[in-house]
Amino acid sequence: MAKPKVAFYWCASCGGCEEAVVDLAENILKVVEAVEFVLWPVAMDFKIKDVEALQDGEIAVSFINGSIRTGEQEHIAKLLRKKSGLVVAFGACAHIGGTPGLANFSNREIIFDYVYQKSPSLDNPGKIFPQEKTTVKEGELTLPKFYNTVFTLDQVIDVDYYLPGCAPPPDLIMNAVEAILTGNLPPKGTVLAPDKSLCDTCKRKITKPEKAVIKHIKRVHEVLIDPEKCFLDQGIICLGPATRDGCGERCINANMPCRGCFGSTSRVEDQGAKFLSALSSIIDADSEEEIKKITDSIADPAGIFYYYSLPASMLRRKFI
Amino acid sequence: MSDFEPRIVGFLCNWCSYAGADAAGSARKTYPPNVRVIRVMCTGRIDPQFVIKAFQAGADGVMILGCHPGDCHYKEGNYKALRRFHLLRKMLTQFGIEEERFRLDWVSASEADKFVETISDMVQKVKALGPLKREIAA
Amino acid sequence: MKVRVGVYICSCGTNISENIDIDQLAQFSSSLENVGYVKRNNLLCSEDGKNFLAEDIIKEKPDRVVIVACTPKEHEKTFRNVLQRAGLNPYLFQMVNIREQVAWVTDDKNKATEKAKSYIRAAVKRVTLHEPLEKKEIDCNTDVLVIGAGPAGMEAAHMLAKAGRKVYLVEKNSFIGGRVARYEDVFPKMECASCMLEPKMDEILHDENIELLLNSEVQEVLGFLGNFVVRINKKAGFVDKEKCIGCGACYEHCPVNVKNEFDYNLSDRKAIYVPYTGALPNVPVIDQNKCIRFEGRSEIANEALEAGLITKEEFDRFKHHDCQLCKQACMFDAINYEDTDEIIERNVGGIITATGFELFDPSVLPQYGYGKIPEVYNSLEIERILAQTGPTAGKLLMKNGKEPESVAIIHCIGSRDKDYKDYCSSVCCLYALKFAHMIEKHSPEVKVYDIYADWCVPGKDNQAFLDSIKEWKNFEFIHTTLPMNVVSKIKDDKIDLHCIDISEKKRKVSADMVVLCPAMIPGKDTAKLSELLMISQGREGFFAEGHTKLAPVSTNIEGVFIAGCAQGPKDIQNSVAQGAAAAGQALSILVPGRKLELDVMTAEIDEKVCAECMICVGLCPYKAIVIDKEKKVAVVNTVLCKGCGTCVAACPSGSAKSRHFTAEQIFAEIEEVLK
Repeated sequence: MAKPKVAFYWCASCGGCEEAVVDLAENILKVVEAVEFVLWPVAMDFKIKDVEALQDGEIAVSFINGSIRTGEQEHIAKLLRKKSGLVVAFGACAHIGGTPGLANFSNREIIFDYVYQKSPSLDNPGKIFPQEKTTVKEGELTLPKFYNTVFTLDQVIDVDYYLPGCAPPPDLIMNAVEAILTGNLPPKGTVLAPDKSLCDTCKRKITKPEKAVIKHIKRVHEVLIDPEKCFLDQGIICLGPATRDGCGERCINANMPCRGCFGSTSRVEDQGAKFLSALSSIIDADSEEEIKKITDSIADPAGIFYYYSLPASMLRRKFI
Repeated sequence: MSDFEPRIVGFLCNWCSYAGADAAGSARKTYPPNVRVIRVMCTGRIDPQFVIKAFQAGADGVMILGCHPGDCHYKEGNYKALRRFHLLRKMLTQFGIEEERFRLDWVSASEADKFVETISDMVQKVKALGPLKREIAA
Repeated sequence: MKVRVGVYICSCGTNISENIDIDQLAQFSSSLENVGYVKRNNLLCSEDGKNFLAEDIIKEKPDRVVIVACTPKEHEKTFRNVLQRAGLNPYLFQMVNIREQVAWVTDDKNKATEKAKSYIRAAVKRVTLHEPLEKKEIDCNTDVLVIGAGPAGMEAAHMLAKAGRKVYLVEKNSFIGGRVARYEDVFPKMECASCMLEPKMDEILHDENIELLLNSEVQEVLGFLGNFVVRINKKAGFVDKEKCIGCGACYEHCPVNVKNEFDYNLSDRKAIYVPYTGALPNVPVIDQNKCIRFEGRSEIANEALEAGLITKEEFDRFKHHDCQLCKQACMFDAINYEDTDEIIERNVGGIITATGFELFDPSVLPQYGYGKIPEVYNSLEIERILAQTGPTAGKLLMKNGKEPESVAIIHCIGSRDKDYKDYCSSVCCLYALKFAHMIEKHSPEVKVYDIYADWCVPGKDNQAFLDSIKEWKNFEFIHTTLPMNVVSKIKDDKIDLHCIDISEKKRKVSADMVVLCPAMIPGKDTAKLSELLMISQGREGFFAEGHTKLAPVSTNIEGVFIAGCAQGPKDIQNSVAQGAAAAGQALSILVPGRKLELDVMTAEIDEKVCAECMICVGLCPYKAIVIDKEKKVAVVNTVLCKGCGTCVAACPSGSAKSRHFTAEQIFAEIEEVLK
């Protein structure tokens, strides 16, 4: 019996999701035994034309990580969708936009202007900017179109399942692979992680007082963080309450607060807005003056609350 | 810009501001028709997601009108709304939504005039700001 | 499955139709998705209109109904009842306000019609997302716990008992009557306080429906309206009230002598004692802290030996702590040294707390000399001195046993002063007048100086009470300004009082005794009780009422009521009125045989999604959210939830939902109204 064909592709990505596959350690041998890779740029030499040559739906499952930022990424994502039975958005960037998504606070013009003009370490007296088409004596050179906006994977193609996390932890990946191989899958569109927020399994939960209050907000470098107590109760912003569970609290256990890489639970449309609501509701102040004092102390609320999820948020990007 | 008619969503609480809006009606006061009122039981119910949804769905401005501090029918809901409002308004400026487009005010059940003034003022201010620029080319 | 919406448009006579194009609205409504039919009516809220609506719903059988008419604040309830009658769940319905908020306020008919259309579109979409909501009921206990057996508590207990409710009346002292038990006379009629209280106290002691728990304090309160469990710590009294006849033989023989707190340490008592002659019930208690059996106070035994109160033989017995003098003196075997503190548990439906007041401590203001100059007293101490059951049998005497030649009364101690208490305690001017009357009656030669800033004498009886004093020759008013600026200095064996009067002249008077009228502050257990009962303390630490004008005896916790000076300074008349009011509230909410109807539009937390992050618990003003420690989730108690939705807005995991105001419903309204 032929092994199911699998593709693994990266879009606007850091490569961490590829490493997550490697993190499977011995389990990767089980995977390699059970499937046949047809595309995996970081590890194997297949070309895009090899994929184009396949039948529609011939690929059993494509795991696509990274967000969509260029025309080429969109093109390949669409190609893989056509050729695949299932598409899994792998990792935070594909799922909710990831940190590349923070570029949605600017646009192509602003970015190019900084990168190719204003950056202090730059020397570009000829004011050369990247062009989609450049004619040289040998012919025409092309570069992919650089979009104004970063998109999540499901904003450009139909996605069947999501593996959340930056990067998804090995156990979630194995569970997903097994479910796919055995055909034991939940309804289409499911995020393959528990549908509860992080506090559910966080060891620090038992230290939470009955009445949660924020009297002041501190950044992680401003205080010595108590490794046993809940971060929010120490005045440190932790997105745990607004973030889906399943990561094993890797950051929490390293004494750093959660930054929300798993996105929200299925009951929430906008992770950043919901976290803003929870945080501000428990601010211990009733007068405008006192409230503003505390809210003013957060230098970059949008950046913190939408650290991973800006493209997936309701507004998706800044109005410019 | 003179023919731009802003679309504004107003979240009004059942016990004070919604009743104040009704009072303006009973007194037959006229005001610009640009505001679309959404009734909630308490401004404490107003999830920041609602405000963002309004901007996403096409609003040029959003208002929250509730009971005066100390008068909330449910004791403290308006204080929670106030706390959320300040942080949300600050965050929305990072999205390019100017502070003047998002407003919180207190209108009691008897303040028909204040209701009319607040609406008229908001419409005027948002009109001057122009529509919220939305189209971003690919 | 398609949801069929029936739309009814009311012209409200011409109120709506003259400013909005109803034809356009009807046409527009039929074009909307899910709309099955559109009907019009001239006046839906009239009897004809309502009948038409009911019959039409029965005929058409829509899944949802939208009524386009006036404000829901006027007729939402009306139409919900019609729907119920017609067999449709009353919450599968949305009302559209195109009268007060469109027709009556928009000058341009076209713009008004457009606005109305967007509201109808929003309502039709929203209503397809409504769920049928059923009214819920729970059983309730109709018994009531009353804390405090002063005038307010006694009134409440008595009223409830007469109505047939079982009342548990918890009192921390060994006697009932509260502060009033200490007064000789009460203003303005100068009637005898004990005579006034006697009939009420008698009812309290003998009513079968009242279980009186003396020497008791509330330790724990669990549960909610209709279903409270209360744990009460009943301290040992050591005297069996069934056997004791109140003869007093026991305390005659007690060798211990200590200060009597009832008389503010102006007199002595024994370790087994009744606080005053005539205390009700007339059953002594043993003070464990002073009785040598229990605390082994051989120092007390030493003192008693030195004072000649006991013989050497008895002293030796005391040293071994086996004093049995009171038990031996009792001919009815009423004394039981084996008595222990007991935790009593009771189930009640409501709780009334009437725990009274303290006086502001004047020693904080050293200029008055309270606590340093022996003959400076506060008002409660003077009440005892003027009382026949008090340390001087009602005679106005100084500590050295002599009669004073002059007495000064100073108003507003710590009151109406933004550095201490900024409010007026409402009774001090009146009891100052009372003291003046009593001094005039029993010691008419005594000169009385009354140093005041204002006279506060509201009410139908009180001005006359003040006016009656003005003619007395031994009475001198000194009018000063606020804050009180009187300074007391000892001069020989008198007290010189220096002040600046209202014309800015320096004044000095000399008095033998000084009576201070301090501010009334909440009783010292108020903070502890507020935590136990989960009610708020409001201004200046008094229990917070639900609404200053409209809910003076309710609190933020359903089923817990407040009455008397614990709520704010007031006189006996108003305390009694509040006691009756609190009882009235309990009687009206907790009715035997009737179940408690719960609010329908409450919050709900999905236990499959809730991660116990605790953000919501502290936000609820009604303490309606509790943690289920087994399931590790937050749960909304729908008995207490009022449906404000604050917890739902704050919930970061989306597990909390607001019935009838869900996020999906509001999103739908927002999207449709902006199209």
